[in-house]
Amino acid sequence: MDRLPRGRHGLSPEFVAQNQRKRLIAGLTQALYEVGYQKTTVSLIGQRAGVSKSDFYKHFESKDDCFIAAYDAAIERIREQVRFACEEAKGDDWARRVRVGIDSLLKLFTAEPALAGIALVEGLRAGREVYDRYQAAVESFVACLRQGAPASPGGGAIPEATGEAVVGGIASMLGRRVLAGEADRLSELFPEILEFTLTAYLGGEEARRIVSAG
Amino acid sequence: MTSTRPELPREFVASHKRRRMMQAIAELTADKGYEATKIADIVRQAAVARKTLYDNFDGKEDLFLSAVNTTLTEMRVVVEEACDRSEGSSEEGIVAGLEALLEFVAAHPAPARMCMVEAISATPSSARIYDTGMRDFVDLLRDNAPAEADLPETIEESLVGGVAWVLQQQIRRGEAEQAPELLSELSQFVLSPYLGVGRVVDTGRRK
Repeated sequence: MDRLPRGRHGLSPEFVAQNQRKRLIAGLTQALYEVGYQKTTVSLIGQRAGVSKSDFYKHFESKDDCFIAAYDAAIERIREQVRFACEEAKGDDWARRVRVGIDSLLKLFTAEPALAGIALVEGLRAGREVYDRYQAAVESFVACLRQGAPASPGGGAIPEATGEAVVGGIASMLGRRVLAGEADRLSELFPEILEFTLTAYLGGEEARRIVSAG
Repeated sequence: MTSTRPELPREFVASHKRRRMMQAIAELTADKGYEATKIADIVRQAAVARKTLYDNFDGKEDLFLSAVNTTLTEMRVVVEEACDRSEGSSEEGIVAGLEALLEFVAAHPAPARMCMVEAISATPSSARIYDTGMRDFVDLLRDNAPAEADLPETIEESLVGGVAWVLQQQIRRGEAEQAPELLSELSQFVLSPYLGVGRVVDTGRRK
């Protein structure tokens, strides 16, 4: 995030404060991705953000405090991105919306690996409070996925656990890739993740047909 | 006068103590988390001397890692044996393995919570052990899955991740004992790439 001009600039103090806060959040997210939670210090966050250490403490009580804010911001961005993409494809059928949603998610992560890092890896490892947020985020995508999902082709109902298992499975697989340093290549997994998701609802054959039809 | 108490072999007592300490850390971390669990709590709960703990383990983390590792190994062995015992189709083998897994969780709620929930966030080493454990389950599923040429390479990883996630939520809700009720739903999920969706999966004596 760009720094504001120094000296006289006629920007309101509220604007400057908001901008600093956003930069600190981006700074922490970036630092985490570079060196991990343990080695992310307040000085490093300040350095990445271009904000002094004393200004840091005007916004956050501690590194943890900043971490929680950054985590919430990351989840919100990811949700927004997927919501926007699905909104665009509103008139389309369920499979199409799933495709668009997964595509937008993977593109965002690939473009911003640090965002993938905080959301998918650090979120699981930062204790219960953050884990609850991770869980809530997964749940919100489950609701998204279930919306308008077709009835089971075999006639039986799609089990309740399927949506949870699909989203949880995707999140854990992506998390493992990020941890292996492959965050910037998550887009390559698009066909596999799409097929996995559609398979759980439509069966393998139909899923493959849709994936290869593009 | 000689004691009437029968002498147990020393190795038996030692391994029994190790198990008690591992059980104690499982129960304590399940109850209040890894951070809040202290050595003093562990030795009290396991009814061993502090020295015994340090004779066996380097400290809290070492004990925790051993306990997580042991539980994950037991879990995998139970599942593997159930798959092997099942002499039917590979689908039946997978259902048998899944059933064994769910029953293990129901029978050992605290160790299950320790290795599937606490281990992820307790320490970097425990997170790595959890990951290795999950990879073993991925290999196990791959070995037992029906031969299906066309599936994505990552399918087993996604399936195992999905089952683990559903189980983690079940455990976190404090409903580990009811895990076997998930058998039918999870079987359908795991078999969906191989069998298709909506086919009634025969889960034996359960619904």
